[in-house]
Amino acid sequence: MVSVEHHTLCDGVQLQSIRDTKFKTFRISVHFLMPLAKETAAANALVPFLLTRATRRYPDFTLLSRKMDDLYGAGLGGDVGKIGDCQVLTVTASALANDYALAGEDLVKEMTDVLCEALFDPVLEDGLFREEDLRQEQRQTLEQIDADFADKRVWALQRCMETMCADEPFGVGRFGSREAVAALTREAVTDAWRTMCRTARVEIFVLGDCDPRGVFESLKAAFANVERSYVPFAAAPAAAAPKTVRRAGDTETVVQGKLVLGMRSPIYGSDPRVPAMRLMAGIFGGTPNGKLFLNVRERMSLCYYCSANYLPPKGFLFVQSGVEFSNMERAESAILDQLAAVQRGNFTEEDVATAKLSLCNSLLTAEDSLSVLDNWYLSQTFGERGLSPTEYAARVNAVGREEILEAANTVQLDTVYRLTGKKEGSL
Amino acid sequence: MNLMQEVKNSRARESYWEVQHASGLRIFLYPKKDSHSTYAIFGTNYGSVDNTFRLAGEDAYTTVPNGIAHYLEHKLFENEDGTDSLLQFAKTGASANAYTTFDKTCYLFSCADHVYESLEILLDFVQKPYFTEQTVQKEQGIIGQEIRMYDDDPGWQVLFHLLQAMYQEHPVRIDIPGTVESIAQITPKLLYQCYQTFYNLHNMALCVVGNFEPQRVLDVCDRLLKPAPDQKIERFFKPEPAGVQSHFVTAKASVVTPLFYYGFKEDARHPLTDEEEARTEILLEALCGASSPLYGSLLSQGLINEASFDCESFAGPGYASVLFSGESKDPKAVADAISRAIADVRQNGIAPEAFARAKKVVYGRMLSGFNSVSSLANALVSAYFAGRSLFGTLEAIAGATPEAVCARLETELLPDRAVLSVIEPANQAGGKA
Repeated sequence: MVSVEHHTLCDGVQLQSIRDTKFKTFRISVHFLMPLAKETAAANALVPFLLTRATRRYPDFTLLSRKMDDLYGAGLGGDVGKIGDCQVLTVTASALANDYALAGEDLVKEMTDVLCEALFDPVLEDGLFREEDLRQEQRQTLEQIDADFADKRVWALQRCMETMCADEPFGVGRFGSREAVAALTREAVTDAWRTMCRTARVEIFVLGDCDPRGVFESLKAAFANVERSYVPFAAAPAAAAPKTVRRAGDTETVVQGKLVLGMRSPIYGSDPRVPAMRLMAGIFGGTPNGKLFLNVRERMSLCYYCSANYLPPKGFLFVQSGVEFSNMERAESAILDQLAAVQRGNFTEEDVATAKLSLCNSLLTAEDSLSVLDNWYLSQTFGERGLSPTEYAARVNAVGREEILEAANTVQLDTVYRLTGKKEGSL
Repeated sequence: MNLMQEVKNSRARESYWEVQHASGLRIFLYPKKDSHSTYAIFGTNYGSVDNTFRLAGEDAYTTVPNGIAHYLEHKLFENEDGTDSLLQFAKTGASANAYTTFDKTCYLFSCADHVYESLEILLDFVQKPYFTEQTVQKEQGIIGQEIRMYDDDPGWQVLFHLLQAMYQEHPVRIDIPGTVESIAQITPKLLYQCYQTFYNLHNMALCVVGNFEPQRVLDVCDRLLKPAPDQKIERFFKPEPAGVQSHFVTAKASVVTPLFYYGFKEDARHPLTDEEEARTEILLEALCGASSPLYGSLLSQGLINEASFDCESFAGPGYASVLFSGESKDPKAVADAISRAIADVRQNGIAPEAFARAKKVVYGRMLSGFNSVSSLANALVSAYFAGRSLFGTLEAIAGATPEAVCARLETELLPDRAVLSVIEPANQAGGKA
């Protein structure tokens, strides 16, 4: 039986390990959680990428990549995301399990060392990240922001979030703004790195086929060299939906429109009603059996995709769909009709059973992927720490119809975003 | 009588069962007892390129409208009583889906429980076509919207522009879902004809990977598979010239950074073997993997980014090529640098340490794939339809030599077979993000 072990490395730094030899690989991820803020987001966002680009021992991109390739294509990667009101700065090391190294290399030890060096021993000049490294990562981040614009499904959702949370931390993009990234300096990103090491809440996961003891000892020693001044920060209080629905839109050279509806519920974080809200989202539009797919897509043929996605850390519900320009009005009212139907209790015991089976299925299959497990345990640090997907599934199964109905009636429409074409059908 | 054989590999410490089922179906059973989930694929060796065909013994070839394989995939979910098979999986909680590629159509589910019930639903609906004038027409709206969604996907467009410039006759140049005009020609009769031809169990495969008992899966198969006549399908492809139609194509879309595909057409008269596939993988890794001089130099010149740059071997019945892709402010400069690096390898070979590294990376990547029930199931089915095998490729990676890898350049990455496809920004305004 696989179990979660929990350790505290130092103030605000937690490590959870789950050893499971069914995997042929292991994954060590270090997540630094910082308050999401307009002023700091861009500088923070570059830090994980700068840290995984080069270390003092492997001082450029190619030398570090060669080391990784010598370790059977091991991965040292940076990432940035947002969960609730936190910006999550992540550095991940992953590789084949020691058992599969052809020449008996200790891949766990090698990768733990490289990971610690990446976090705390970067290549600096005059105490600052190098100009060239900064320019490269700045360019790549700007191109990533532009790639999000190219993917209209992603971009429409981002624009809806920005509009809905214009006055809240969550309205800040995970990379900060384009302008702020373009204006970054060596001083600003180096300072962001030092602040991150000193003050962030840190969540570390050691997953897959690897003995966590050595990893724990090495990381503990590495963090012992950091002068920590950790101050826990509170999430921003939940805002209510406005009296009048916010509306925003853009026109671009597209042939299909995108419609995104942003909604709020006060059920989020460690609220015990979260499993009921997840089921409500499933019944509304989280599965092919959801009301949105069955009615708005299949019965009314109003869009190619139409689905609802609930964000438990914030209590937000987003409905995303691809709609012909001429069908925007009809699609919007059809989606809201389906929401009203769920709120009136217009769903059967069978709908509830189906939503439970489907949600539990996705929870249990999460146990078979290291990256999905990593995400799961990280998001659970905003709910009930250490709860496995399998244990969570038991909570889901205990939810009753009334609780789902109650959850549904907390949902309020906040923002409607429409992306339309400059001229229909032309590029 | 079912013929069952265990296939083992000591390097990966893995094994599966390969079954020739009495019905004619090839079945792969890959139990993983520690897995929480099970993933099953029921697929047919039939994709968008199979648009001209006949059964052995028939006189004439039939040519069908473009996009019909994908259309058939959509319609197969619909049952005679008007219900949708996708919704039947609601009873088991399985997450079900389907996809159509250039060379295959696959129906699949992933589940944590109720494996055998889910398998019954899968085997049942794929074997029960039901098409009428009315139901066929109804689908045109939804598929039309899917086609329009692809029209707005610059990553999809840049690939098809490349394929249209590279291939003059082969149907790989045609969009998988077809066009609004081509799908308007689809009739129930044509759908039945394609179904009877390609959804014959001898042309299909079933693959189950995960937490299940092989005998219980076989019991379901024995009960539900309908024995099929062993018919031979003859596919017709017009002769494809060796050269490309055009070396450069460009179009505009709503993007900020240009997107590119840079491809090299190859002779595709014979399907790739396990060895050829493995050697190409290693060659490409050595040429443009993260630690290669080419990659480092493109990155430091600001010509590519790590998030988007990619390289793949792209092959199927009658087509084969190597494709480089990504975002770049100057795609022509990237294409030139790639061409110079290829010429350098052709002249000087691959350095021993770079070869060893590339081989390790490809080996590590392939072994990591054994973690995932979905990767395994998809890889088994793809390899089987392509005439290769999962463990065969792994062993070929382990056995590859620098000489054999470099010898791939005799037929691969030829300079006069290159095409560059670029999507440029539609306006100068840039993103608003």
